Amino acid sequence: MSTAAVERDSLIAHEDDLLLVTGASGFIGSRLVACLLDRGFRNVRCFARPNSEMTALGRLRGSESVHVVTGNLLSRNDCDVAMKGVKVIFHLATARDGKSYSDAFMNSVVTTRNLLDASLEHQCLRRFVNVSSLAVYTNKANPRGRLLDEHCPVERRPQSRGDAYCFAKVKQDELVIEYGGKFGIPYVIVRPGYVLGPDKAGISSRVGIDTFGVFLHLGGSNTIPFTYVDNCADAIALAGLTKGTDGEVFNVVDDDLPSSRSFLCMYKRNARKFKSVYLPHALSYGLCYLWEKYSEWSDGQLPPTFNRPHWHAYWKKTRYSNEKLKTRVGWQPKVSMREALARCFRSYCENEAHA
Amino acid sequence: MLKIAIVGCGKIADSHASLIQSLKGCEIVGVCDREPLMARQLYERFPVKHYFSDVSELLSEARPDVVHITTPPASHFELAKMCLQRGCHVYVEKPFTLDAEQAHTLVALATERQLKLTAGHDDQFSHVARRMREVVRSGYLGGPPVHMESYFCYELDQAYARALFGDRQHWVRGLPGKLLHNVISHGIARIAEFLTSDSPEVIAYGFVSPLLRGVGETEIIDELRVILCEEGRTTAYFTFSSQMRPSMHQFRIYGSKNGLLLDQDHEILLRLRGASFKSYLDKFVPPVLFARQHLANLAANVKAFLAMDFHAKAGMRYLIESFYRSITDGGPVPIPYREILLTATIMDRIFAQIGSKRSESPETSLANRLTVRW
Repeated sequence: MSTAAVERDSLIAHEDDLLLVTGASGFIGSRLVACLLDRGFRNVRCFARPNSEMTALGRLRGSESVHVVTGNLLSRNDCDVAMKGVKVIFHLATARDGKSYSDAFMNSVVTTRNLLDASLEHQCLRRFVNVSSLAVYTNKANPRGRLLDEHCPVERRPQSRGDAYCFAKVKQDELVIEYGGKFGIPYVIVRPGYVLGPDKAGISSRVGIDTFGVFLHLGGSNTIPFTYVDNCADAIALAGLTKGTDGEVFNVVDDDLPSSRSFLCMYKRNARKFKSVYLPHALSYGLCYLWEKYSEWSDGQLPPTFNRPHWHAYWKKTRYSNEKLKTRVGWQPKVSMREALARCFRSYCENEAHA
Repeated sequence: MLKIAIVGCGKIADSHASLIQSLKGCEIVGVCDREPLMARQLYERFPVKHYFSDVSELLSEARPDVVHITTPPASHFELAKMCLQRGCHVYVEKPFTLDAEQAHTLVALATERQLKLTAGHDDQFSHVARRMREVVRSGYLGGPPVHMESYFCYELDQAYARALFGDRQHWVRGLPGKLLHNVISHGIARIAEFLTSDSPEVIAYGFVSPLLRGVGETEIIDELRVILCEEGRTTAYFTFSSQMRPSMHQFRIYGSKNGLLLDQDHEILLRLRGASFKSYLDKFVPPVLFARQHLANLAANVKAFLAMDFHAKAGMRYLIESFYRSITDGGPVPIPYREILLTATIMDRIFAQIGSKRSESPETSLANRLTVRW
């Protein structure tokens, strides 16, 4: 038996089975579609909003294996149409607005519920692949420098984080698990770290923030949980399609993760020069504590953006693992971190020159 | 203890819930959204007793004294009517209703039932707006306003325009004034406060900006210029723009003696002296006087911040508190009904004009508008 045949045998879907990708025109979604086509799947339904920028899907739209369906996941009817005949759904679509809890919740949780309900209606789904985020882990009880993996607890009171995205993702995961338990919908949850890639110019807030006019470097010697977009898409595809992973959670980070300090140096050297001020961890923790207390004391005169749960999740020294992904589904990052960063910086410079 | 309910659990409901929970003497007895998940998420994040997906059930079981309606505008009228009929005082988010007729019906119903009603014109109660009102009342203008200018801008970048306007089913499209209907009431209410006539002349000119046309939008007008005039005495200009920068929210009011400039974005109030200084002093003294006023504004803002009374929604907090006080103490409502109705009337007239003339070319349309009289 050939290697390809062996690999296909380990998957829950055949080449002609209908796969649905929500958020298909997005940064990760478009790479996931390409990845699925590369793996030989010939029936990929791409769901996008009618007004989505489709350039990310590019040439894939011309492929006979790709069918674009437009609609709104807040519409039960659109979800019903999208889910018809689907064997595996890769649910990547998520809220864009990170400030409003209600908007984030509506565009992450209500949409997910609509898809789950539609899958119950059609009764042919083999797996619901829910793309979540590393942001959902609390990391509070973890001692400094300890490993954050799939066993770590998720934020119990996500509203305390002051981060609408985290709140929505925690609730989305809870809903998927609830439907899995109640209705027997097979699911897999994938939690990528910060996804790097060309055309994504920003710097992860895990490295630092420029909210106050100067870039505050908060990460220091912390490892930053990067994953390159192609590697991430590959991980989502494998975690979602491999047999025997129902009910499992997979974190996605690449190998050879850089420290925040070394990333910032490389960024300044290869992409853009700017001034930054390093805040030691004890100081950033103290400032987060003061901000949190003042926000409470003043009834939210300062929004609770910075607080201790946020510090634990983003700026506490932590190690990350991709061991489960490698051992359970045989994932290996195809693009090395060195090459990934080089591609990102090159793309940033080209875009700047073009602008 | 005043029992409060919120109907509609979207973005603006967060601000309402957050402010209500910080007020003494009231509790949120229920929240309601026809999407149960949305009602539940608000219930989970705030100290709320129950959540519902049916308004009638909320009114029967939670028995609120006051209901805040924070749903999309198309449902404001029916929900407010139902709440008034069931004996509740009602706070309706802006825009108050879809048209003036609905507004009149609600006001009549509230008056008949001896219940209180208010509209979410919370910008009228920001610190700077309250300061301006005091100065006007002190007679600084030297009589009734001669002229007013209200700028209400809205930043509409390309990504947002795509997200919002690409959706042909978006509820904004169902409003008589579409996007304008949802956003201009704050700016119109500023003018309405100082008009004395119930039926001012309105001349409106609106068009779709090049940015929106660039993303294929042809229906949603995002540039609006309005002239208002009452009884040959007071005039006003209203400007709404999604494209001009700075994207400002300003109000200028001029009397026969002096004028005032209110800058909502920076919470600045400037007195504009009518009198001038002699010779070159008119070039040297006013800048010093303006500098002094700017410093006084800075001091007022810092003072409010240190007193922990400078929240992003300080105006809404003041409006809600005043509204509740009018209920518990039996005093007047914070926004006179005449002002709510006049705002709705002016908006009706604007939308009627830009709606009926949309098919004309911009040149013809503007010429026609300048001859239109109501």
